[in-house]
Amino acid sequence: MRRLEPLLAPAVFVAMVAALWFIFMVVPTERQMGIVQRIFYFHVASAWLAYAGFFTVAGASAVYLWKGSAAADRAALAGAEIGVLFCTFVVVTGPIWARPIWGVWWTWDPRLTMTLILWAIYAGYLMLRAFGGDDEAVARYAAVLGIVGVLDIPVIRVSVRLLHGIHPNVLNQPQGSGLSDPTMRLALLVASVAMLLLGGWLAMVRMRQERLSSELAALRRLAEERA
Amino acid sequence: MRAALAILRKDLRIEWRTKESLSSLIVLGVLLLVALAVAYDPTPETAPTLAPAVLWATFVFTGLLGIQRGFLVERENDCLAGLLGAPIDPASIFAGKLAANLVLLSAMQAIVVPLVGLFLHVDLAASFGGLLVVLLLGNLGFAALATLFAAIAVRTRAREVLLPVLLLPLLVPVLIGAVKATEHVIAGGLAGARDALGVLGAFDVIFTVAGWLLFTYVVRD
Amino acid sequence: MDNFPYLFAAYTAIWVGLFLYVRRLARRSRELEEEIQDLRRQLGRP
Repeated sequence: MRRLEPLLAPAVFVAMVAALWFIFMVVPTERQMGIVQRIFYFHVASAWLAYAGFFTVAGASAVYLWKGSAAADRAALAGAEIGVLFCTFVVVTGPIWARPIWGVWWTWDPRLTMTLILWAIYAGYLMLRAFGGDDEAVARYAAVLGIVGVLDIPVIRVSVRLLHGIHPNVLNQPQGSGLSDPTMRLALLVASVAMLLLGGWLAMVRMRQERLSSELAALRRLAEERA
Repeated sequence: MRAALAILRKDLRIEWRTKESLSSLIVLGVLLLVALAVAYDPTPETAPTLAPAVLWATFVFTGLLGIQRGFLVERENDCLAGLLGAPIDPASIFAGKLAANLVLLSAMQAIVVPLVGLFLHVDLAASFGGLLVVLLLGNLGFAALATLFAAIAVRTRAREVLLPVLLLPLLVPVLIGAVKATEHVIAGGLAGARDALGVLGAFDVIFTVAGWLLFTYVVRD
Repeated sequence: MDNFPYLFAAYTAIWVGLFLYVRRLARRSRELEEEIQDLRRQLGRP
């Protein structure tokens, strides 16, 4: 893993440019939605990244609770930050896409509602870590939240289906299905890879930063003991 | 199991002595109900459609406050340290606290539910059995997560605001399931509420077990 | 072809988000640097 690291930044760059090239130069304009449909690729890719982030939080949190590994704790934090970042992209680009297509900024459709709730859960996770105090136990509490959040995902998914849309005809097809042209599917794939690499890169930077921060804190304590 | 019952009895006895939490819960519940009813200002015809949402919005918000208070009081008196010193396993503490919170919630609901029927012109007595089922399932899921996270929130700095912030998004399935189930129960009976009750049941199982398992990580000071 | 503003808004939103996050990372790095300087000074005179 460490040997591949210097390749990461260039890979992110190349993948991103490739994705943009696909989205703006290769893919045809969608017949029904027009050029606004091009938002779709980063929108969906961001959603997948958000889920990847949240599942990372849950996994890392479980490892942290079980083994007490500080690296796992850092991975959970990075996963949450990346997850919330990309989930924000989903929740912002979604309405921007929806407004010209459906005529409304928002509906309480199952998928939108679920994404919003998920955003709120992990934004809460970040709030807990930021405002919960400096007690070391906060990492443990956050880990509990991280696991509970992911456990809630299937239940939320089922429960939001009980909601009825106010205007059932606003959505004539679920977001994102109906990829007619095969290049569209390829563009989605490239966009997803680009987002994945980007997210991974940011997470790695963030984790390294946290590790440095805790090592510095430990050194500071040592220095103060000596003084 | 015995430890859990002991904790339940202790909490109930303490509460019964002052009735502080219970009375403030009930008063708050009634006030919130009044505020919602006045804000909506429904006609006698439309009022019944509000009842499920008003019921559960009231329960969720008052419940949050009530459960948070319970842990706050303990924290202030450092009871938890004493409890943990005893050879009781934390999961039993969770079970005991969960049971106590359920009793508290039910007591509050015993007053608020009839009042909703009164204020919103709904004949809740007709659907009493079904309503009871919804209340039991909804309360359990709510209390399971609330107990777990109240224990967390009370140990952190921004405790008053943190509990609702953390809990409300997690509790959305309970809110949706309970409201939908209540709607069906009032309209026709338990049969139509099956999907919603299924959601509540699944939530209850998952998070009672999760709370049971994870509580030790919260109190392991 | 008249929905360009929406397309622009969406991609700009993503750029803004990324920019803000990267800026946050940069700020944290600077804080860490300052702490290292601080520690250096502290250890300079034991």
